[in-house]
Parts: sequence; C-alpha cells; structure tokens
Amino acid sequence: MAASTKPILKVQDIVKSFGRRSVLNGVSLLMRRGELSAIVGENGAGKSTLLKILVGLTVADSGNVTTNGRVGYCPQDSLVFETLTVKENFHYFASAYGLERNKEDGGDWKKEKDVWLEYFKFKQYENALVSTLSGGTKQKLNLSLALLHAPDMLILDEPFAGFDWETYLHFWELTEGLRSAGKSILIVSHFIYDREKFDRIYELKDGVIECA
Amino acid sequence: MTMRELLRSRMAIILIFLIPTLFYILISLTTPHRMIPFKLPSVSGEPVIEISMRYESLVFIGLAAVGFIVAFLAMNLIQKQTEANRRLILCGYWPMELIISKLAVLLCVIVLISLFVAAMLSLFFRPERFLMVVMAFALGGFVYGCYGLLIGALCKRELEGMLFIVLLTQIDVGWLQNPTFYADAQHTSIIRYLPAFYPSQMSMVTAFTAYSIMNSLIGSLLYGSAFMIISILIFRWKMGTRKQRIFL
Repeated sequence: MAASTKPILKVQDIVKSFGRRSVLNGVSLLMRRGELSAIVGENGAGKSTLLKILVGLTVADSGNVTTNGRVGYCPQDSLVFETLTVKENFHYFASAYGLERNKEDGGDWKKEKDVWLEYFKFKQYENALVSTLSGGTKQKLNLSLALLHAPDMLILDEPFAGFDWETYLHFWELTEGLRSAGKSILIVSHFIYDREKFDRIYELKDGVIECA
Repeated sequence: MTMRELLRSRMAIILIFLIPTLFYILISLTTPHRMIPFKLPSVSGEPVIEISMRYESLVFIGLAAVGFIVAFLAMNLIQKQTEANRRLILCGYWPMELIISKLAVLLCVIVLISLFVAAMLSLFFRPERFLMVVMAFALGGFVYGCYGLLIGALCKRELEGMLFIVLLTQIDVGWLQNPTFYADAQHTSIIRYLPAFYPSQMSMVTAFTAYSIMNSLIGSLLYGSAFMIISILIFRWKMGTRKQRIFL
C-alpha cells in the first residue's frame, strides 16, 4: 500500500550533545501513515540516541518530536521481565497500556495476545518463565509486546537480532500487513537488506541525517 | 507481579527464614545467662535495667536479622529490571504506580519477616510486650528497607549496592546499637544519630520494660520516611520519560 500524505511522526532540528561531544546536529525527518522507513548508520553514528529521543527515553537539547498516534516501541534488548512467564508479561504490559481499564480502546488484550502468540509461533511457551526462553523467542515476545496495543506506528531497534530465517520472512509479511492497515514502521539498524521494501532509508552520519 | 517475581526466588525465600533461625541458634548456644546492666537512652531519665545477656543478645540479633534481610530485599526490589520498568512507563504506567506496587510488596515483606523473627524469639523467652516487639522489628525493617530502596535507586550495579548495605548494617544495627557496647561507648551522640538507634531502643524497651516508646516510634518513622522520600524522588527522576506532543 502506498503511504498516505498524513504525517504520523515529525522530527524537527534535533540537537543533542554529551558534554563537548556533539551527537546529533539538527536532525529532521518526516514519516507518513503506511510508510516503512529505516534509519541506518555506523556504530556511534547516533542512531540509538536519536531513537531514545523519538520514544521519549532521552531529552534532546533542542528540537521537537511530535507524533500523531499510538507508538509501539520494540527495543534492541528484550526489555521484558525474566522472572515472569510469557503470559504474565503480556498481562503486565496490557495493564500498562491501559487495555484492562479501557476495553473499547484496545479491544480484548487476551485475544490480541493469542493472535501474536500464534503469529510468531510461540504459544507453547505461554506459561514458561522468560528466563528459560531462547534469545529468538524472547525477541518474539519483545516484538509482540510492542504490538499488543495495536499501535499506529512501530519503532523497532535492530529487530532482526536473534530471528531465524523463517521468522525473518514472517516479519516481512507482518510489516506488509501492518502497512496495508495504514500503520507506519520505522526500523533502526546497522545493516538493511532488502532495501527495495522501504519507502525511505535515512542515513545518519556525523550527527546529520540524509535521505538515501 | 512484583510479589510474584519475589516469590519465584526460592533460594531467597529459604534464606529469609534460615538466616534468623541460624542467628538465634548461634546466640543461644554461645551467649551466657550472666546478668548485665545497660542504659535505655531513648527513655526519659535514661534508666538502667539489668537483664540476662542471652536475652538481650537475642533481641539485638533479631532486629539485626530483620534489618539485614529487608535492606537487601528492598534494594533488589528497586534495582532489578530497571530498563524493563522504564519500558512499562513508556507504555503508559505512571512511575508512582510502580513505586506504590514496590512499597506495597516491601510492606508485606516487613510484616512477614518481623512476625516470623518475633515468633522465633518467643521460643527462647517471653518478651514483656510481644506485639510491641513485633512493631519494633517492623520499624527496624521499615528504616532499613527504606535505606535499601535508597541504595537500590542510587547504585546501578548490584555489588556496589550490596557493599553499601553491608557497610551501614554491619556498623549500625549489627554492632554500635548493641546496648552492651553502647554502655561503655564514647561519643554516644554519634550512635544516637544512626538509623537503627530508635528501632533498636524500641525493641529493648518493649522486650524488657513497660516504659513509653513514643520517642523511638516517632524517631523510627521519621528516619524511615526520610529515606523513603529521597529514594522515591531518585527513582522517579531515573524513570522519567518525555511524552511527545500530539499534533493534528
């Protein structure tokens, strides 16, 4: 599906320094609904800093980030609760998203949970402690938790780490499905294969972003 | 969920019950029944009482056990899974919701451990006011639990946190507050300003006398609350996220 003209993420002149070291020098980008974009760059280019600013984990020295919808964030490391089961993690995050309080807004989170457990084929681990899961299965949980509240935009930090080939292919089916539903996806990664799948690829170099 | 996480640490649960039991057994095997006089500096007039050294040591070690265990558990409660907690906040939780859930778990832990340690104590002798001894242990747990929260909020790494807890608990609740040491100590005003002074005094007063505990009660609550407020502020600051503005 072609991206609509309606913007969903607007980043304007983001500047960020750590002490004397300047990391981002006036980064701007725009994402529209249904768009699939990527931010690539070498190690230390400022990708993680930019991403943290986008999701609200870090404050920029100057500039603005504005969004027009719900954002789902999938961090690079599986930031899940290791001593809880997969099901309990879904419950915890559903509660954080407010899906338990507001059923009209998020639908029934248990159904959503089952959808993602089936989709990523890890339903058999529903009652397993996260600490006992493989890296790939943790990553599936990590991604499922970002999708649980049906976000309008998904921000993914190195999402392919730990995926096997089948899951990788499955992931692209998922992105196509999300795009058809008008959702936007922003992937931040060192390497981007299958460049033709993206509407836009931004390259971050020396604190400046360019649309490749 | 926080309580579930804690209950899944089976070894920790075993140690919670094993440590005070071991402490009590060691004290009862090694400490004589010789009568010793000591002062109660938190009571007006600072009366001197004379009781069995073994009983005094049992009360002292009971409070020390509660302080040690609760401080470590509280640190663990706030220090573990910091990034996952931060993600929950990004997803919509208020930092205060997480803090309240952690404080609720801490409160349950304090009550449970205090009851257990006081119940064990009553196997060795009958304290003058049993329920007040439970309360004194709980206040010791509260003061050191809030100290554990503070250390957990301040230190990123577990080892640093553990060393900070060992540092203060060893010196304070594990040594200087022992009435037999206090009796001959110099510069006792230093000891009076340490966190375990009031809970320690309260446990001695309630275990052996009918004197008022108001000073100890207020002192303990103030000390614990100060630690708690500072740790909440630090945790809140560390968990801070910036919500994006919505545009049309």
